Amino acid sequence: MDYDTQLKVQTYLDGELSPVESREIANLLARDRDAVALLGELRNTRQALVGTEIGVLLPESREFFWSKIERDIKFQEKRDAQSQAVSAFSLGDFFHSWRRLFVPAAALSALALAAIMTLSSGSHVSLVETAVADPGAFTYHDFSTGTTLVWFSYPAEDNDNSSVAK
Amino acid sequence: MKRTTLVLCGVVFLLIQTLSAVSVHAADMQLEAVLVWGTNEQKSPDPKHKPVGADVKTQLQQLPLKWTNYFEVNRVKFTVPPSGANKVPLSEKCQLDVKTHGEDKIEVVVFGKGKQVATRNQELPKHGTLILGGDSPGTNCWLAIIKRVE
Repeated sequence: MDYDTQLKVQTYLDGELSPVESREIANLLARDRDAVALLGELRNTRQALVGTEIGVLLPESREFFWSKIERDIKFQEKRDAQSQAVSAFSLGDFFHSWRRLFVPAAALSALALAAIMTLSSGSHVSLVETAVADPGAFTYHDFSTGTTLVWFSYPAEDNDNSSVAK
Repeated sequence: MKRTTLVLCGVVFLLIQTLSAVSVHAADMQLEAVLVWGTNEQKSPDPKHKPVGADVKTQLQQLPLKWTNYFEVNRVKFTVPPSGANKVPLSEKCQLDVKTHGEDKIEVVVFGKGKQVATRNQELPKHGTLILGGDSPGTNCWLAIIKRVE
């Protein structure tokens, strides 16, 4: 089963496929044991994750977090516009506009640095990522203990207990 | 003159051998692997399994895992030379193939019943821990905890 089909099985489980694609996957499930196993494993994983979803807390309020992104986008747009018009600027105008941009950017950087330092001296910092190279796994980093957890959600291949432990 | 040259060459040869042996040994990565069975049951189905130590249990409880009890299946200490490899059998069914790339990079391949189950490449600094895991049939899980001792 190729990667696209695996994704479709997952999307089928989430109920997000179109009726035509949904029928295709239903037909596939009727004849392919691997697809059935994958569907079962995905369902088990989803059930296992219910109630144990990892809460990644932002060190600031949601509004402030998104406002930073908005400010950053506006800053990028302004900078692009200025870089196009820079030839028309006099040297004085350039330094003036640079100061206007630099001061809030420096303040934002200082805030970000302070937040990072506070977090790094804190007791529990973690990060969740999905491995791009391995779509069947997700990774959780706990920086406070130097622990990395990699969880593999490949379909179980046998029925007589785990293929790994025991 | 000829004898002196021979002795000198011998001494230099021995010195080089000793230095290279010392440097290789010093750079060996010392690791410990623990195979753990996670379950919500109070007892492991295998009476030989013993509950994990308090330190391991605390470490696992800080991770986003849903299981309440963890049992140690086996524990193995081993070393891997720089840019070398080592095969570490953890149980009848489970084996780890551990390779090192440079001083801190590690590649772990988990084999279950001879089949490749999982692969992971990452930095593993001193005293760092890499935990590979997955669901087992039923509501259980397996965990391979690899700690870098030195």
